[in-house]
Amino acid sequence: MTNTALDQALQTLERATSTPELVKATQALCALNDLEAAKPLVKVLGFNNPAVAAVATQGLIQLGRDIVPILLVSLDARNYGARAWVVKVIAALRDPRGLDLLEHALQADIAPSVRRSATRGLADLEFSEDAAHDQLVRCFEGLLKAVRDDEWVVRYAAAYGLEQRLNSAAVSAHLAEQGRAALNQLASDAEGVRVVQLRALKALQRLNAG
Amino acid sequence: MEPLSETQVIKNLRQTEDPSAQYYAAWWLGKMRSQHPDAIPLLLRALEALDATPIDPEQRGVALNAIRALGLLRDMRAEQPLLALLHSNDYTVREEVVRTLGAMGSCGAVEGIRALLASGLEGAGAEQPSSPLLNEPCEALLEALGDIGDGSSSNLAVIQPFTEHPRPLIRSAACRALLQLTGLDQWGMELKKLLNHPEPLVRRGALLDLGATGWLAAVPSIRTAAVEPSLKLVALREVAERNVDPNDVLDAMDGLL
Repeated sequence: MTNTALDQALQTLERATSTPELVKATQALCALNDLEAAKPLVKVLGFNNPAVAAVATQGLIQLGRDIVPILLVSLDARNYGARAWVVKVIAALRDPRGLDLLEHALQADIAPSVRRSATRGLADLEFSEDAAHDQLVRCFEGLLKAVRDDEWVVRYAAAYGLEQRLNSAAVSAHLAEQGRAALNQLASDAEGVRVVQLRALKALQRLNAG
Repeated sequence: MEPLSETQVIKNLRQTEDPSAQYYAAWWLGKMRSQHPDAIPLLLRALEALDATPIDPEQRGVALNAIRALGLLRDMRAEQPLLALLHSNDYTVREEVVRTLGAMGSCGAVEGIRALLASGLEGAGAEQPSSPLLNEPCEALLEALGDIGDGSSSNLAVIQPFTEHPRPLIRSAACRALLQLTGLDQWGMELKKLLNHPEPLVRRGALLDLGATGWLAAVPSIRTAAVEPSLKLVALREVAERNVDPNDVLDAMDGLL
């Protein structure tokens, strides 16, 4: 891996103007599989161009967990779109170092898409060996918060997440009870959005069958 | 700041000194799906401002929010007053009224909507001089016909020419309505083509139109379209809620979270 290849890819990206050009340049940057490309890829997430951002997101995920520290410091507070993609990358990498960020995004972010990705992250995050129990409890608490979110899509993600977490043997009886109660609530008529009810029902059916 | 109580919101809409409080109150009642007994009468009262000459611009704003709120509350008491506004000479009023009547599934609106579209591409669908607007709010009119669901041949005949409109979003609305009314795959295929349009705005429009039809065959294309996941989830929610067995749709949604 030489710096020349990276410099060239960055220059091409700089010159790209149309969406197809941007996609191609971003793909070239991803293909380098170089940690140095992580920062420019995060920048690409802020272009407000979903086609390009999707490519960059895949590239970042492909770079693996080594990029987590870079992601944690490069979250742009002013760009909703970019933040959603960064939270999405963190969620996909399932790295326990992302837990603080996911919790904070779920609690404080005004963009529903960011809270949705954060909820998804809390559903799938892996735990570090020394703190697994504490981290599981925190994920559960986050999901129970997401159940009460104003946005249907966050509650939908919560139904998905509770199903994931309730499948795990490590869940204490107390947490399992709370999780089931939350799913029952989402499946009931107290939930105003049909698709959330449908997802919660599906979760309960599968949990009861398994 | 404390959130407003429903009683306070009703009071704010009832008073006439402060139009901005009325404006917010009208919006709130719709957003919160208010069941307050005074909500519908007060929203209907707000429409009366549109009969005045000249129309007070602030009261017009309150009336527009009232029309939108009525679309969310879907109370049939609003049907007759809204039908009368189909003939308003204010483009935006016609547009919002049509959206609301469409959301209410108002069969009584079909004839009036058809009449507004009847002049076709040269009339309703032509651009207003020196304005980006068409002569009629065609997108809203086409969508409403599809949502109301009356697939009579006279409705289909009036919609069909708009599948050739020069603007892709109008074509999208026409295909959406025809797919809703006929269930014929050919219109779904047209919508899928629009999902590959170079303009993101067109892709987004076509995606939401596909969702509104509940056409199950659209799920793979919705999943892979170059559009934000948030919008895909909105479209897939519509598909899921319109089908008896939405299992595959829910799986697609899980993958987009």
